[in-house]
Amino acid sequence: MRPSAIITRLGPGAGWRPQIDGALAQVEELGFIEVIAESIGSGPLPPGIVAARERGLQVVPHGIGLSLGGAERPAPAGLAHLASVAERVGAPLVSEHIAFVRADGREAGHLLPVPRTHPALEILCENVAIAQAALPVPLALEHVAALVQWPGAEMDEATFVRELIERTGALLLLDLSNLYANGRNHGYDALEALERFPLERIAYVHVGGGVLRDGVYHDTHAHPVVPGVLHLVEELCAIADPPGVMLERDDDFPPPSELITELRAIADAVRWGGERRVRP
Amino acid sequence: MSAPDRGAYAERQAQLLDALLRGDDFPPGFVVADADAAGVALRRKRGRAVAHAWPALALCLGDAFETRFDEFDRGAGASASGEPLRDGLAFALCLAGEDEPLGDDVRVEMLLARASLRRRGIWLRAACLREPYPRLLLVARLPRAGTRQRSFAIGRARW
Repeated sequence: MRPSAIITRLGPGAGWRPQIDGALAQVEELGFIEVIAESIGSGPLPPGIVAARERGLQVVPHGIGLSLGGAERPAPAGLAHLASVAERVGAPLVSEHIAFVRADGREAGHLLPVPRTHPALEILCENVAIAQAALPVPLALEHVAALVQWPGAEMDEATFVRELIERTGALLLLDLSNLYANGRNHGYDALEALERFPLERIAYVHVGGGVLRDGVYHDTHAHPVVPGVLHLVEELCAIADPPGVMLERDDDFPPPSELITELRAIADAVRWGGERRVRP
Repeated sequence: MSAPDRGAYAERQAQLLDALLRGDDFPPGFVVADADAAGVALRRKRGRAVAHAWPALALCLGDAFETRFDEFDRGAGASASGEPLRDGLAFALCLAGEDEPLGDDVRVEMLLARASLRRRGIWLRAACLREPYPRLLLVARLPRAGTRQRSFAIGRARW
């Protein structure tokens, strides 16, 4: 196992997007924003991100294009870009996905799952180690929501993620919406699975909205957060003290009042869970 | 432990991607209903991303956009880049090749996309537009300056 990274306390957070910059600027309680690393060019930082830093918010670059779960080793240019964004925003850490986004030169335009097998884990660990060597700050890894599952799984998702985190020393970006979606779509108890994730290695937590369509739950980040996901937030905070919990909203942006209400609902779930943890 | 076989892994991932993007048969062992749902969701997401990057094109095709793009994307699965701007341009060029009436707003989107995708050298194009008033539009991509555009009213349409 590699040396463990120090975990930074982040507080309440939100995914920064230009469309909700104005709404986020109204939320005094925010401790951090997450920015999509690939959306940041080599020119000046977007004014909203500069303003957030001036407010004292921490900025966490979130990669979506390294394809750490791919058969190919992560591209040096992609790693250099993520490292550069991390340095330019003074990030305490960066995050990426346990997924592949391209194969044989073709782009999926989406995060696709990796087989939960020992050979796939071996390749993933090698790719993560390459990324860690190229990055100036700790790396957190996020498990993804996936409608399709590879056949021949040798372990469940929580076990796979724990193995990966233990072997690489990476931090965990726990996505409760992904966990909820996978539990619902693949017929397992998300709460039971939650307890077996490496909760002691959480860097921060994603909470996003979704929608049930034709009996399938889609983790869209374009709909309100459903009660089942907020329940997982409270249950997580009843057994662990995540350093940061953030809202992800990527599409169909609501008016500021609705967005702020969602942020408050997440903060309430964190507080209620925390109170149960402190006074069981 | 021996080195993992990246070649075999690459082949399996490529097979899955082809099945999701083009509707090819899934490799053995996948739950077909889950895999089909994933393919539909993935292609719908790609379509939404293109529609966001190409608002005039999406407006031009209206309700038919999703179906038309899906047909195009499945056919182009092997060559589509996954980049909304680039895939939207390929889609728009395909429609133009089929004599689809796209309108001036889409023509402007195509010019701006081609300029944005230009990586080096100087690139300059002109287009005569009728809407919302007769004008000549110049679009240029210049080293270090990025994309620039100027519009010149024609005839009595001057402001």
